[in-house]
Amino acid sequence: MAELRGSYGDQPNHILTRWFGTPDLHKLDVYSGKPGGYTALRKALLDMAPADITNEVKTSGLRGRGGAGFATGIKWGFINRDAPGPKYVVVNADESEPGTAKDRYILENSPHMVVEGILIAAYAVGANQAWVYIRGEYDEPYRMLTEAIEEARAKGYVGPQPMGKDFALDIRLYRGHGAYICGEETALLESLEGKRAQPRSRPPFPAVKGAWGRPTLLNNVETLATVPWIINNGGATYAKLGTAKSPGTRLLTVSGNVRKPGVYEVENGKTFRHVIMELAGGPPEGRKLKVFWPGGSSAPVLPESMLDVTTDAEALAAARSMAGSGGVIVMDDTHCVVRAAHRLLKFYAYESCGKCTPCRIGGDWAVRTYERILANEGSQVELDTLQRVSDGLQNGRCLCGLGDSAGWVIDSTLRHFREEYEDHALRHKCNVGAVTANA
Amino acid sequence: MSALSAHVLEEIKELPSKYPQPRSAVMPALDLAQEELGHLTPEAMSEVAVALELDPGYVEGVATFYSLFHLEPVGKHRFYVCTNLSCMLRGANEIVDRLKQSIGVTQPNQVSPDLLFSYEEVECLGACEFAPMMRLDHKYHYDLTPETINDVVAQLRKTGLLPTRGEVAPPHSSGGGPQGRRGSAGGEIQAPKKPRATRKKKADG
Repeated sequence: MAELRGSYGDQPNHILTRWFGTPDLHKLDVYSGKPGGYTALRKALLDMAPADITNEVKTSGLRGRGGAGFATGIKWGFINRDAPGPKYVVVNADESEPGTAKDRYILENSPHMVVEGILIAAYAVGANQAWVYIRGEYDEPYRMLTEAIEEARAKGYVGPQPMGKDFALDIRLYRGHGAYICGEETALLESLEGKRAQPRSRPPFPAVKGAWGRPTLLNNVETLATVPWIINNGGATYAKLGTAKSPGTRLLTVSGNVRKPGVYEVENGKTFRHVIMELAGGPPEGRKLKVFWPGGSSAPVLPESMLDVTTDAEALAAARSMAGSGGVIVMDDTHCVVRAAHRLLKFYAYESCGKCTPCRIGGDWAVRTYERILANEGSQVELDTLQRVSDGLQNGRCLCGLGDSAGWVIDSTLRHFREEYEDHALRHKCNVGAVTANA
Repeated sequence: MSALSAHVLEEIKELPSKYPQPRSAVMPALDLAQEELGHLTPEAMSEVAVALELDPGYVEGVATFYSLFHLEPVGKHRFYVCTNLSCMLRGANEIVDRLKQSIGVTQPNQVSPDLLFSYEEVECLGACEFAPMMRLDHKYHYDLTPETINDVVAQLRKTGLLPTRGEVAPPHSSGGGPQGRRGSAGGEIQAPKKPRATRKKKADG
């Protein structure tokens, strides 16, 4: 197993990472020992009615950790447990939001925690079959999760009568093949069905018509990994952590120009100053923090002056950004905002699935415009074009959020770093200097 | 003479029954084809289509959408170097420059003269706390520096010509390189005539 960079061990408010670092935690007998693994599954299957499980998750206030932040318990409640025919739980393990590594961190450290969460969710919504859609590049997490499922199968936790309960549970894996868009849940479903991953229009929502046309619950890895703790300790206990509307803890991946990059478990409501400057050690010696992306590259940027914004969804929304995937990308003053935005727009343009015109065309327009600016061919026209393209990408003009995300990169960097853009476009100079030559 | 061997085609034919609907087998099937040939040739995609009772155009449409399917020859060892923001801020572009030098290519997807290597720049691989990082074949490599790139490439050159998959390699790469992964390409590995379109997903819609 790789070195642990981030949270692990018995620290206050460590819920997910409490046992990380325990030797062989990925083995079922270790996970079932002191960490108390599979006690939540036993409790759920033998002592709780499915509706009670869903209610416990509702009480916890847990919100989806994939990016959208939808209330998990409410989502579970959308599935009609009594509908005849197959139902599915589909796990989104296609982590690919730039700057986000927390699902990999969970899967490599404690795959059984994910397996346990999946089984509880499947029982709660009445699904006999779960599918984990795991990103194709995740060879090691794939191997570890496969082994964990096999161990659970050998123990009978996965199988026709888990813990003696007459409710068959099965988990299977499906590997992704390199497409950011599969993080979007309906695109993921298309991919699982063997198609090009292009988002579906909704309604119908996956809860009614999801994988292979059947009612489907889609949850992120971190979301499901949190469920065993909630069942063991009660939703009300979980709800006491964090803020009223964003309860609990979550894993923040801090990357970029910090001294101690890592995946940190943070109680919601701490400031980014705490996360970036204390946990991650701040920027390298002699450099100053300039800007950070608080929730993956899709979350609008915040400048250094907003370090005291807190990590909960409400505070971030008030700051015109979002909590997103919890990927905190930090950039210091030796790097150029315009070049960073250009790199991200190349990403969004490349990853556009091509289904909706504003996203398909807009991303390329933005990239070409950035390229003119960075080649010192810019003028006021280019600045206006960027703003217009950004507006065209946003506000629900597309079936999914990819276009909006691209627009937010342009919009937020322009809003906070207008001068840097004007230096490039109007005065044909970069105020960061030589360092940008490598960007 | 088919591009895919009989046992691979047999394996592919068994896939559809493993899914609620047979179409889901298309990507696992393309995986098997790519595993055997190194990249997906038009013949291989047609054979996958026949085996799965799908339209060949449909299969190709799926293959062109996903970046892990290669439609052009690749090196025996493939570097996927992340150059997205978290890695870029920690020197990913220098890593790419050194890698190009080390393996002797000038652009992504070009196969090195000894057929051992090719590389591509990829988007975030989800290991940002170890930036800059890359995936080499099926393994992640962390905390890269230009020096570690030199070491990794040197190591592969030392061991990379050993027989793989039960085949016997020629004594020197000039003899046609590591055989058996090339399928219909027949050893005529050249750099693609022009850089692959970056928007293949749309172009092949």
